[in-house]
Amino acid sequence: MSFDVLEASQVTKRFSSHQVLRGVDLSVPQGSVMGLLGRNGAGKSTLLQCAVGLLKVDGGELSLLGEDSWRLSASAKSRLGFVAQTPELTPWMRGRKLLEYAASFYPRWNWDLVRRLVALWEIDLRARVRELSEGHRRQLAIILALAPEPEVLILDEPVAGLDPVARRTFLQELIDVALEGERTVLFSTHITADLERVADRVALLADGRIRFNDRLDVLKERVVKLYVRSQDALPSTLGVPGTLREDVGRHEAMVVVEGLETEAVDGLRDRLRAHVEVKHLGLDDIFLEMHHAG
Amino acid sequence: MSFHIDPALGQPIYRQLMEQVRAQIAGGRLVAGDFLPSVRQCAKAFDVNPMTISRAFTLLESEGVLERVRGKGMRVIGPPPVETLAARGAPLEPLLRAAAQRAHELNLPTDEVLSDLRSFLEEHSDEL
Repeated sequence: MSFDVLEASQVTKRFSSHQVLRGVDLSVPQGSVMGLLGRNGAGKSTLLQCAVGLLKVDGGELSLLGEDSWRLSASAKSRLGFVAQTPELTPWMRGRKLLEYAASFYPRWNWDLVRRLVALWEIDLRARVRELSEGHRRQLAIILALAPEPEVLILDEPVAGLDPVARRTFLQELIDVALEGERTVLFSTHITADLERVADRVALLADGRIRFNDRLDVLKERVVKLYVRSQDALPSTLGVPGTLREDVGRHEAMVVVEGLETEAVDGLRDRLRAHVEVKHLGLDDIFLEMHHAG
Repeated sequence: MSFHIDPALGQPIYRQLMEQVRAQIAGGRLVAGDFLPSVRQCAKAFDVNPMTISRAFTLLESEGVLERVRGKGMRVIGPPPVETLAARGAPLEPLLRAAAQRAHELNLPTDEVLSDLRSFLEEHSDEL
């Protein structure tokens, strides 16, 4: 039986006058790969930093691996890998030393994985961290998080700043993690194509709350666009339940609907004597439409 | 076995897979008794989450298209019962319509477009 690796209940967090999280409820089941989507400033980083105990929540409850996020034990921390949006690595250390130093803290360290990624990403381990490009520093941070094979990986915008080849390699590593079946990944991103490949669940953070949290395919099937055409003049609103947005012309209309019921389509056809076409949207568009609706 | 996964499409990835398995069976590229690659192999080959692959397999199993053979994976049972040429071509129609519209907007001569399409089709028949 799988349990929830991360549980958030009514989590709030503000920075001076800015209320970032307004009551976040989120559960991340063990073994899942969850993508956290949200616009810039939606609070994704804040939520992830609270989850790993780098920030303290103002209200609500937040736990990781069954422990309060703010008071994680050393053993919980050793089961967790975290990559911050701007990773802080010791700038004066050489890459190889940094890897050896980090390895000494963990019971397990996958040197094969380290060597493979270092070679693929062409990171110069003889260079000091501060001499590496920003992309290489990020990649090194990712390697440091993956190498101990943690049960939980929390990654804040891991693919930002990676070139397409490095992104694909990273994705393949996450798929390997997913194949192991028991490890959990939570990552924020706004590159939805990557998310679609690698994630099985998606959570959408908007206005400081989780707007949606379910399987990715459920979301993709949940939001659709209707194209309606009729010989008759259309009413000013079509009144489809779950409408996020509609654009009604004289004989043609476009309606974006969340949670479309088949009866609604039949209803339109009968009521307006209309031709109705149902079109599925890409995740990018779904994301935009759900934000439009607020 | 080749599948083409496009995350940008509106259709969820598991449905893209299901449709392509059905299409390959309908087209005779997969026949009864063939085994599909394992979930692991598919996940690694297409860079797709394994849950997504196994969801597609499980649904195809419940449709009676595939059967699960212990220790060996998913086996093709046979072509879906009634599959007319028109039904088989149905998924292609929106793509062709979109291409036709685009060709029209670009004011391309019909012969040109058709000969391009023909050469694309021929490229793929070479792959077999």
